[in-house]
Amino acid sequence: MWEWWRKNRPLMLGSLLLLVALLWYSVNLRQQDETNLLESVVLRLTGPVQAGLDRTIDGVADVWGHYLYLIDTAEDNRRLIDDNRALRAVLTESEEVRLENERLRLLLDFKEAQEIATLPARVIAEDASSWFRTVMIDKGSDQGVTEGMPVVVAEGVVGRVMRSSPRFARVLLITDASSAVASLLQDNRARGICRGQGDQLVFDFVLRQEEVSVGDRVVTSGMGGVFPKGLVVGNVKSVERQEFGLFQAITVAPSVDFSHLEEVLVLLRSPQ
Amino acid sequence: MNRTLIYLVMAGIAVVLQTVLLPLMLNGYYKPDLLLILVIYLGLHEEPQRGGLMVYSLGWCYDGVAGSFPGLNGFILLGIFLAVRGVVTRVNTESSSLLLLLVVAGTILQSAMVAFSLDFFNQATRIWPQMAWQLPAQLLLNFIAAFVLLRLIVWLQRIFLPRRNLPGLRKLDSRYES
Repeated sequence: MWEWWRKNRPLMLGSLLLLVALLWYSVNLRQQDETNLLESVVLRLTGPVQAGLDRTIDGVADVWGHYLYLIDTAEDNRRLIDDNRALRAVLTESEEVRLENERLRLLLDFKEAQEIATLPARVIAEDASSWFRTVMIDKGSDQGVTEGMPVVVAEGVVGRVMRSSPRFARVLLITDASSAVASLLQDNRARGICRGQGDQLVFDFVLRQEEVSVGDRVVTSGMGGVFPKGLVVGNVKSVERQEFGLFQAITVAPSVDFSHLEEVLVLLRSPQ
Repeated sequence: MNRTLIYLVMAGIAVVLQTVLLPLMLNGYYKPDLLLILVIYLGLHEEPQRGGLMVYSLGWCYDGVAGSFPGLNGFILLGIFLAVRGVVTRVNTESSSLLLLLVVAGTILQSAMVAFSLDFFNQATRIWPQMAWQLPAQLLLNFIAAFVLLRLIVWLQRIFLPRRNLPGLRKLDSRYES
């Protein structure tokens, strides 16, 4: 027995160590929604370096684009003047629509939804691993950012705050595999859950009798307690209805371009 | 102590590169896993106890900037380290080709462990379809990164530390002396 143990000791100890690590990870799954001390320290240490490097890169790119690489500037200028003319025309038209909209709202005594206070933040770093989808922002608990707060941009939902330290916070994007957003189809109000799958989303639990078409808009349902109702999640990319089964297989293209995420808005409200 | 500090600084540089610089250069979600390469290097040249403890601690720190599951990266990096330790007595650890091969095997093991840890232990997460798509690109990126790093380190050693015996670089260095 002793001889066997001596021969296999490295293997047994290694396996034991690995098992302990796995159990420890499993136990920590319960505290997944809280920022632990070590994570907070890592955020505090890496945040300033990442923010500094991000600013430096921006500065170099700015100098390069504005003062050195001016080959296309004259052509850009001509194009922008033309664009400006076209946009002025659109703006005049939009102003008319806005005024009309305001009049109709007053007429119907439409109560505006209560405004939620927002905090603009800058994305300073991405997830270190290719398997996960998170970003770091330059606002933290000192500015009122806490775990669970929704993060959005004009195009739609970005994600929710997952960890926060005094000056920095990490945001779990809706495209991450561990993200789930209670959603519904804007047209026929069919409900489901949008789960992240890397570059796209999967819209689960939509009953097979619901009419779903490619291009349909998916919005948040407000049922999950994290995101307010009506925020755009994306558009239906593909629909597959098999012969058997309760639900349809639907994929959704997110409305936000996550590869070019620079500024975001944190909705400052307590998660329910 | 000095070596530990060097490894920590290297891990820090790897994290900053992976979170800020490489995403800008590669313009997408895919980036080489430099920390994985460091862990494989540690597996080839460090003692099991000292190296295992260091890798597990690095994994916990890595959780602060990668993923959303505390303890996950500690478990995965420790698993990769132990797997490398398991084969280290049977191979020539001074060979650069071995490091490249281990980086490829380590990437496959890493993705399998991520899928196992998330899909089996956290039923709300279903990551394997995404990983199946991403794995070939990730393999290629990690391979290229390991290749470039090997060349870079040997070049730096020739310039700055020509007489030092760095673990894993002794044989490599001799190729460049002619």
